[in-house]
Amino acid sequence: MDKSLLLLVALGGVTRYYLQNFHWIGERVEVSTPINSFKRVQEGVYLYENGIDPYLGDVVHELPVILVLLVRIFNSISNFVPLLYVLIDLMTATLLYKMAQQFVRSKLTEQKFESSEYAVGTEELQVQATDMNVVPRCVILAYLFNPLSLLSCAGLTSTVFSNFLIALTLYFLVKRHLLPCIVCLALETMRNLYPIVLIAPVILVFTQRSKNTFTSSISILALFASACFAITGFNYALINSWSFLDATLGFIFFYRDLQPNIGLFWYFFTEMFEHFRTMFLITFQMNATVLYLVPLSLKLRKEPLLLATVLIALMSIFRSYPSVGDVSFYLALLPLWRRCWKFMAHNFVVFCFFVVTLSMMPALWQLWIYSGSANANFYFGTTLAFSTGQIFLVTDLLFAHVKRDFCLRNGLKVYVDGKEAKIILE
Amino acid sequence: MGLLSDPSLTPRGKFGRTLAKHSGKISLFFYIAGLAWFVCLSHPEFSHGTYLSENALSPGLVDPEIGQDSLRLAQSLYEELQRERTEHKSTTPHAWIAAKMHQIGLETHVHNFTLRYPFSAGKEYHGKNVYGILRAPRVSSTEGVVYAAPYRAVNSVHVDITASVPILLAFADFARKKNYWAKDLVFLVTEQEQLGMHAWLEAYHEGGIRDSPILRCGNLPARAGALQAALNLEVQDLDIDYIDVKIEGLNGQLPNLDMFNLVQRLTSRSSLSSGYKHSPRKKRRSHRGSLEDNLRHMLEMLKIQATGVPNGNHGLFHRYRIESLTLEAVKRTTNTNNNNRYGSGLSLLKTIEGISRSLNNLLERFHQSYFFYILVQNDRFVSIGDYMPCLIALASPMFIKAFLLWLTTTATTDETVSEDDSVPSHDEEKPPIQLPYISVVLFMVSALLLGFLCNTLPFSQHVRDYFTSMGVSTEMSVGLILGVQVLLGTLLPLFYTLPEHGLELLHIGVLIFMGVTLIVTGLLNFALGFILAVIISPLTILLNNEHSKGFRQNLTRLYTFLLNPIVIIYLLILWLTLFEFPELSFAELGMRALKASLDAITFGLMDSIIYGNWLYTAIAAIYFPLWILLWTLSLGRQNLITQLEKKTN
Repeated sequence: MDKSLLLLVALGGVTRYYLQNFHWIGERVEVSTPINSFKRVQEGVYLYENGIDPYLGDVVHELPVILVLLVRIFNSISNFVPLLYVLIDLMTATLLYKMAQQFVRSKLTEQKFESSEYAVGTEELQVQATDMNVVPRCVILAYLFNPLSLLSCAGLTSTVFSNFLIALTLYFLVKRHLLPCIVCLALETMRNLYPIVLIAPVILVFTQRSKNTFTSSISILALFASACFAITGFNYALINSWSFLDATLGFIFFYRDLQPNIGLFWYFFTEMFEHFRTMFLITFQMNATVLYLVPLSLKLRKEPLLLATVLIALMSIFRSYPSVGDVSFYLALLPLWRRCWKFMAHNFVVFCFFVVTLSMMPALWQLWIYSGSANANFYFGTTLAFSTGQIFLVTDLLFAHVKRDFCLRNGLKVYVDGKEAKIILE
Repeated sequence: MGLLSDPSLTPRGKFGRTLAKHSGKISLFFYIAGLAWFVCLSHPEFSHGTYLSENALSPGLVDPEIGQDSLRLAQSLYEELQRERTEHKSTTPHAWIAAKMHQIGLETHVHNFTLRYPFSAGKEYHGKNVYGILRAPRVSSTEGVVYAAPYRAVNSVHVDITASVPILLAFADFARKKNYWAKDLVFLVTEQEQLGMHAWLEAYHEGGIRDSPILRCGNLPARAGALQAALNLEVQDLDIDYIDVKIEGLNGQLPNLDMFNLVQRLTSRSSLSSGYKHSPRKKRRSHRGSLEDNLRHMLEMLKIQATGVPNGNHGLFHRYRIESLTLEAVKRTTNTNNNNRYGSGLSLLKTIEGISRSLNNLLERFHQSYFFYILVQNDRFVSIGDYMPCLIALASPMFIKAFLLWLTTTATTDETVSEDDSVPSHDEEKPPIQLPYISVVLFMVSALLLGFLCNTLPFSQHVRDYFTSMGVSTEMSVGLILGVQVLLGTLLPLFYTLPEHGLELLHIGVLIFMGVTLIVTGLLNFALGFILAVIISPLTILLNNEHSKGFRQNLTRLYTFLLNPIVIIYLLILWLTLFEFPELSFAELGMRALKASLDAITFGLMDSIIYGNWLYTAIAAIYFPLWILLWTLSLGRQNLITQLEKKTN
């Protein structure tokens, strides 16, 4: 990392540290959800210190390992806890930078082998040597100075830890270190449930070179499962009770807290008749996890990192307690696909969607909660529009990838009978 | 599926580019459409007659029981109070009011509050509110309704409303004897205009826990549960001409339409003529009002709402989700009906009784009817669904134009060459345009930072103390701080030259920023959003990316300059002073207006600090940066043109 980059990281850190002075940020529903709010972490730390099982109540939803770690930190350097959040966020940014570098490097070598298949005049679509510099820079900028990630860090949310763990997972994934990758993923899965889907890209990456794909994928799965069990066991050993399982994974799966957030769950489960709850719970959770997993894994088996990007994006849209911190993370991954951008037709519209809905959210929240003149439908309308915008973005990215792939092999302009051809999906 | 999966490989921008050439016309069309829509709203066909949604109110069931004896009590109290007033020229006769409340049998308390004036080294003002609670015999004190009357001292500059206190006390005396109350009744006499009411409400809801160092309200000795509604009385005399209902509250909030309708229904039942915006209507629903009248009413309402300053004590209740309004009983000036001098006083009492008994029937908070509406007449309104389109029409061309600009700037250069021959041919070999995102974003952030400074410096205690210690007056120090900021903002485009294509990108960014702020402001306070949209939108039409002619450019610059918040305030006040003091010479007028506008800005700041009015914050934090960006755009042409000239030479 050169000097200017270090300067950027420092600037990002200073901005985050300054924004942490605004305590209201951590109280916004867009930033803090029941599973990531700092207040709940504080409560958990207090309960743990006083010898009360923190998971018996309905407040704490953090994994015991993290909680115990935080208790230690709170005891020793309680004044520097906000700084810790900043440091972890900066580490996430740096990890993403390294990950992007490695990714572009591997793309370049991959391209060398395939370059004979490419059509003439498609240099624009090929990864170029300059990307070695540009793409990682874009990634780190997009993470450091995205207002959403700034807010998430300023609100001291545990999403900072989640992003760090996922960034670690991705980093080890492109570096091809199997064991650390699996451990990070397992830890994050035990915290947030949804990252379980990321096992698909992990399997795809690590079975690429093996001869017997089936057995190696089974063994990776087994490794993942045993890592999960080991973490569970470790957690049990820490607090001598199983109550944490229900308070973390159960709380996420059964969606017990209906506090509004930027996701789609809260309104639906508030309005729904109670006897349909189980069915819709399963439907919604399937939508957030396995529904897109198989088709996307089949389609994108050659691009595991794109698969990971899309899965992380879908996860942050459809999860039960999404926050803006999750959104900022996958937005930072988009520059990796810089060569697809040419085909992204909706980027401007999506940008407008994001800006308008994100600025309307606080206004409508104010009208609903404080003035009492608007109601929940207004707020839900914007969150719905926000989610729609995100879906547009994900679909756009996928289509851009497909188009790029096609054009890379067939040339930028395909002519049929002297007219420009169109690709029709049938 | 075509929306998400456009099958063509090259983006089709032809249609967009042709449209982009006419973006000015499109914006003009939307602008005119938005204004026309607003004017149409004043047509009777577009407004609805008011009706009651909340059945629990059932105003028709009330049979007025209040009689002549109450009116006679009010008269004697009024005379007594007038005698008291000769002794208390500048203060409130607290003792007299408290004694009367006690005599009636209310649980009477006094509430003290202190205002430490945030400027000029903290002068202190003290005030006292007197209130009496009538406990509901039917339930424990879980809900309450407030009946308030502001008291104005003899030397007050405002209209004399001494009669409100006797009316309030007479009604309290009547209510004391009834046993059907299901909600506690709080009778409150406040002083120092809105400050007293604000302090009382703050004390009621915060209980001194979150006392600000500026307004210390302390705690209240007694409460009456969650307040459901409030009625504020401003009675000028016992002989009433008509009743004007005032509804506009803090930050443009309005009470539920049901509350308003209830009052309208009951005033007409007790044969009081009810007016709107100081134009009495003698007959209810007799005619639907002329177009000009309706338009004038709407504009007047928007004008009050836009400032965010409540036009009566009722406005402060809205902050706590309490529906409230003011009954302004206007004194009769013509001596037409001398025999029945106090008949109208009884009607007023009957109305108050009716309202209180209807409110007593409430089962839950007001939630049924509209919260967003514009009144056209005292019994006709325009709902949010009907008036929002005009704001949308004013804000949408910004997004449309931004999109069209985006299409043209990101289009590959070789296509523009084929369309436009005047562009030098060496452009053809250029790679696709690299837009300078980072420098444009930095520029926007620096403009926003200036706005942020405008919003923090005058609020900071240290800065204020520093200026006071320097012996600078409050208005001057605020003016100085803001003046420096505005100067910096004006000069910002000269310090910071944007790279090539920076202006186009900035233009897009500004358009989106403008659209978003207008929509968000319109949601929070429609009036403010609409008025700002009306004055800002013409810039969308005027600002043009193409090389525009001298006149148009100068017009744009002049218009942008006039839009500067400080210039607008100054011009507005100059206009008002011109009407107020037509005899002054022009130089004197200018000086007086300057002083008045400094005062106005300080008042805005005070409103923001004490009452939580957003106007100052919104203007300083958002519209000022927006203005800097617009100013850059209107000036920035020159930089680019000189660049081009250099290139061609």
